[in-house]
Amino acid sequence: MVRIRFHGRGGQGAKTAARLVATAAFLEGWMAQDSPLYGAERRGAPMTAFARLDRAPIRERGMIARPDLVVVADDSLLADPAAHVGDGVEADTVVFVNSEQAVTQLLERAPCPGRLLTGDLTGLVLAQLGKAGALSGPLGAVAARLVGLSETNLRTALVMELGELGLPVPVIEQNLSMAHACFELVQPVPLRQNGDRPGQPASLRTPTYEPPTSGTARISALANVTVRKTGGWRTFRPVLDPEKCIGCWMCYLHCPDGAVRMTGATHPLIDYDHCKGCLLCVEECPTLALISEREAGLVRRSS
Amino acid sequence: MTWPHETYSKIKQLPLEEQVLPGTSLCAGCGGLETLRLAAKVLGEKVVFVNAAGCFTLLAVYPFTPFHGSWLYTTMGSAPAGAQGIRDALDVLIAKRRLPKEEDLKVVVLAGDGTTYEMALSATSAAIGRNLDFYYFCYDNEAYANTGVQLSSATPYGARTTTSPCSLQHPAGTVREKKDIFEIWRAHRPPYIATLSARYPLDLAEKLARASRIAGPKLLLALSPCPTGWGFDPFQTPEVARLAVETGLWPLKEAVQGEVTHTYVPKRRPVEDYLRLQERFRHLFEPTRQEAAIRHIQDRVDAYWSRVRAEPPR
Ligand SMILES: Cc1ncc(C[n+]2csc(CCOP(=O)(O)OP(=O)(O)O)c2C)c(N)n1
Ligand code: SF4
Ligand code: SF4
Ligand code: SF4
Repeated sequence: MVRIRFHGRGGQGAKTAARLVATAAFLEGWMAQDSPLYGAERRGAPMTAFARLDRAPIRERGMIARPDLVVVADDSLLADPAAHVGDGVEADTVVFVNSEQAVTQLLERAPCPGRLLTGDLTGLVLAQLGKAGALSGPLGAVAARLVGLSETNLRTALVMELGELGLPVPVIEQNLSMAHACFELVQPVPLRQNGDRPGQPASLRTPTYEPPTSGTARISALANVTVRKTGGWRTFRPVLDPEKCIGCWMCYLHCPDGAVRMTGATHPLIDYDHCKGCLLCVEECPTLALISEREAGLVRRSS
Repeated sequence: MTWPHETYSKIKQLPLEEQVLPGTSLCAGCGGLETLRLAAKVLGEKVVFVNAAGCFTLLAVYPFTPFHGSWLYTTMGSAPAGAQGIRDALDVLIAKRRLPKEEDLKVVVLAGDGTTYEMALSATSAAIGRNLDFYYFCYDNEAYANTGVQLSSATPYGARTTTSPCSLQHPAGTVREKKDIFEIWRAHRPPYIATLSARYPLDLAEKLARASRIAGPKLLLALSPCPTGWGFDPFQTPEVARLAVETGLWPLKEAVQGEVTHTYVPKRRPVEDYLRLQERFRHLFEPTRQEAAIRHIQDRVDAYWSRVRAEPPR
């Protein structure tokens, strides 16, 4: 069995990528299974999706604890402890990371025990679609290629699955051409097949309950949510050019999260610890004083 | 006719204080959160929020809260009842002088459209009937968004949701019309009702300020573009929100003591400009253009505004 785990941010298409590789494998005559896992958080937050491929019937269910292949949609996830990218990754696990950076650069910042590969899928999507759209097609294509599936079956899977999502024909065609580029970008790798290794025994965790005095759902520390940093949700960040800023307040007013501050000064201050990178402020700025910049990998320039 | 602004006529008069702090796990680019943040600035600090289950559940996830004050979480159907309980408790405490009058709180229901247009409608009707002094803030994302974008009574004609897909039988998606909750509230004769859009922040702030001076049930109905549910990139939230108003699909209006005023009359761009931006309407254009459905949406908007024009100004 080949166990593939995708890590992405809500909205990047990791769930559909898992579906794409599973459908392509199914068309190739394999058995296939895919499923996503979301937390309570929403678009932009780390999420995971799984695909299992096998020649024999698949009886295993649930999360994949020891993947053979890990596909990471955004290199910022490597440094995000909430994403759990490294869970169950062993020396022979293949880890593909969508990144502008080379393997050595990534490894310097995030030691990863697996066999690391990188490729700039976001760059590819930007070039093709002119905007950072969903990465599902390229992620699914990379996974299919690494596993050794044929391009023909992947193309059919793309047409089926993206068509079902209601994507217009031109976008599906762009995905087909991106898929081709992905097939050129990576080569099939000999994956370990750990199907015959014993799986992790399921363990039942007994919940512990607080006594009623401390266990009520009462929050006394008011307005404390700021301790939760949502800056890791970004793929792009807004960057201010103070020269062009006329201090009109538009960015500050419209940031849904209140991550832009006007502290009495004329220029806004972006709170990168909490900015989720929706780029709404960039869109609102009348003078183009805010531009969007691709998040520089694992470098988190907090200010 | 210019709509009179009494409190906020310039952007920079809006309060700098934040009442909804950053760090919540709502979607990047959430139009509902954007609207709430602006509205809460005007409501100020002395507020207790009564939150029905929905996306805004994620505002306060134990043990974290973005509010300076209190937040009560209720089931979808019972938020207005929760508001009644809090209002009664505050009134009793003030009457017994256990709470100084200056420390009174505004009671604000936070609810999605599923709650507002459907599940809590009977509790709301009863609360209005009892003339409960509360604010009802509805972030209308036109679907049950938090549970995976299902059809609600606020879903507009032609939109696709997970429970109203476009199919051979229904190539245009949702076939029923959006419920007119503004008029349903108005039929109850509450003192104040308004529609809001974050894209018109002065209009929004002015309406909240106006509502703050009125006792009794007050509805603040905010169209809340939802990048996740409607299918557009989060940076397009402003464009989608603006076009909802500029095409005439989301009229900005208020009803004070039942009397309706349109606070902004758009030049009215074709509805198509708005629909085209969103994946939930894509089947109206691809692979074959659903001419009749697009026409139908345009006709409904045209009919609405010709009725508005026919009404004599206040
Ligand atoms: C009585 C009841 N039924 C179903 C649910 C499950 N549920 C939780 S949130 C939600 C969706 C709420 O929709 P809406 O009010 O439109 O708010 P949104 O999700 O759009 O924020 C549902 C159905 C519930 N909490 N209570
Ligand atoms: S990108 Fe801009 S609008 Fe979006 S969260 Fe960051 S600062 Fe706010
Ligand atoms: S919107 Fe642009 S010009 Fe206006 S305050 Fe923000 S950065 Fe400055
Ligand atoms: S699903 Fe829509 S309404 Fe809900 S948090 Fe996300 S953007 Fe906001």
